[in-house]
Amino acid sequence: MTQTVASEPMVRIEGLRKSFGSHEVLRDINFDVMPGQVVTIIGASGSGKSTLLRCINLLETPDAGHVWFHGEDLAAQHVDVNRLREKIGMVFQGFNLFNNMNVLDNCTLAPVTLKKMKKAEAEQVAMKHLESVGLADFARASVQTLSGGQKQRVAIARALCMQPDLMLFDEPTSALDPEIVGEVLEVMRGLAADGMTMVVVTHEMAFAKTVSDRVVFMDKGVIAEEGTPAEIFGNPKHPRTREFLSRYLDD
Amino acid sequence: MSSAQSGEQMTPRKRGKFASFILDDHRYVLLGTSAVAFLGMLLSSQSRPRLSFLANAFTVELVMYYLLAAWLVLSAIALVFKLTHWKTYATTSPFTKPAIARVLRIASYVVWAMTFVLLIDRVVLGIASAWQVAMSAEKVPTDDMLESMCYILWNGRQTFITGFITTVELAVFGTVIAFFLALLLVFCRIQTIDRPDNDFIRFWKKVGCGFAKVYSTVVRGTPMMVQAMVIYYGVFGLFRMTALTTTQINGIWTTFLAGLVTITLNSTAYMMEVLRGGIESVDKGQMEAARSLGLSQWQAMMKVVFPQGIKFAIPGLSNELVINIKDSSVLSVIGTFDLMFATTTVAGIYYQQFRTALISTVIYLMLTMLASWLLSKFAKRFDVKSETMGSTSDQTMLGEE
Repeated sequence: MTQTVASEPMVRIEGLRKSFGSHEVLRDINFDVMPGQVVTIIGASGSGKSTLLRCINLLETPDAGHVWFHGEDLAAQHVDVNRLREKIGMVFQGFNLFNNMNVLDNCTLAPVTLKKMKKAEAEQVAMKHLESVGLADFARASVQTLSGGQKQRVAIARALCMQPDLMLFDEPTSALDPEIVGEVLEVMRGLAADGMTMVVVTHEMAFAKTVSDRVVFMDKGVIAEEGTPAEIFGNPKHPRTREFLSRYLDD
Repeated sequence: MSSAQSGEQMTPRKRGKFASFILDDHRYVLLGTSAVAFLGMLLSSQSRPRLSFLANAFTVELVMYYLLAAWLVLSAIALVFKLTHWKTYATTSPFTKPAIARVLRIASYVVWAMTFVLLIDRVVLGIASAWQVAMSAEKVPTDDMLESMCYILWNGRQTFITGFITTVELAVFGTVIAFFLALLLVFCRIQTIDRPDNDFIRFWKKVGCGFAKVYSTVVRGTPMMVQAMVIYYGVFGLFRMTALTTTQINGIWTTFLAGLVTITLNSTAYMMEVLRGGIESVDKGQMEAARSLGLSQWQAMMKVVFPQGIKFAIPGLSNELVINIKDSSVLSVIGTFDLMFATTTVAGIYYQQFRTALISTVIYLMLTMLASWLLSKFAKRFDVKSETMGSTSDQTMLGEE
């Protein structure tokens, strides 16, 4: 890693392996995420991007390897993943807002339950984040009434309410109409500008190019190539990277 | 019949399917009302009950009879017209002219009214007369079915009422207690090993889940009649080991209590499966999202997944009450004094098996219909569609609608 100057990496992944049945999805993955960095993971479908992301907060259990977060190994047996997950926000492709609650309750559930915050206090924090994603007016709305873009912005606000150190985005715009992808990306750009550490799995190459500090290209369960956006998009070395990117850059 | 357009149909109106079937559609004004008229004629040809008010107005009834017949003739003419003018019926038939169609409509109401009068005279007053005869009869009137059923119901009323109350109590208490037990059991059933769990918790989760699985398999895999016998005689045998006398045991371990325990334990297994089906049909992403925020498995289950899952389960759960009303009848095998036991008792007294069984059929049917009506009202408050009447005791999980 070139950027390892003074600070410790926030996330360090070492020798990560994961297979579903006989299918090896991740094969010996190693990479670091420095505090404040925005890392985008790109690659074809089925290359293991999402699984890698889900291993970072243990939604998938790795078969081997380590996932260090703030110096603690999440992959170790009996580690209190719940406590560590509080510091890792996640945004899903399918939004996964809690259908039995309104927008505000979606945001306050975790702070009230886990941080023992007073309801009023949690609501204040939630309103602040809802405002930052432009949905303060929808606080009392039921989640079913929202559009896809609004749902995803609520999902981001919900994750932010736990004041995470790291945000994981699992193809946050893939389930959205092309027209409303922009509103979600705008929120993510804002987050990146505020210095949030982010790992983003995405097919939005423009976003990867302009926002990220580092781009990771995955192919068949391994990291085929990684580097700055300029390196990856300007001068891809690996033939698979070139092949993959050519499809996007032709458009 | 697609080409048959009535004058009324030309002007589009916003009505329900059923209302427009009766009110707007020319074809059914003739066709549907013909069936009603036929029913009226059929009723008219029945012998008059003792309380019949039409008996004093013979001419009126005769006129009504011929009016109904006239309607049938009229409809037959319209039908012939239709058959001969298949394509051009709408334009050529005199029956579709607006004025005549309107007259036909009004006439059809008259037909309905006359049939209704006949229905009251023959059926309602027929039951009333039978009841009157039965009340004053010395012994079972064997000739007339209705009279003997009324006699059996009236004279066996104490037995029927006792049985009826027991059945309702068994079904209601059984279902309610079973619901809470099923809640406990389903939480055992859905336990999965989570990473932060220590070995102690892991062990108990496995035990709980295993117990729930075995319980459900055993209970759902054996007939309730057999379960009733095992529970009743089994516990009775246990009491035998104490110093209690048989009379004392019968006082404590009553057949009602044994029946209630049986129905509760049986229903628990089915309700657990319904609940599990509901919980498992909640999108997996809900759990993942909750876990990603740091909620424990238990917190995520209680705050996010379960509240959604129980909504899916409500139709199946309420169905269980209807099933228990019916299935409590097998408890008569251990002598629980439910409606079924009452039926056999009364049937034995009057040597009238079939007619007594018919009586309890009607009672059971009214009870289950009332129960499912109440439950659908209840389910509406939770914004869920309820199932129609419970299918059978070995019901399937979800998706029956």
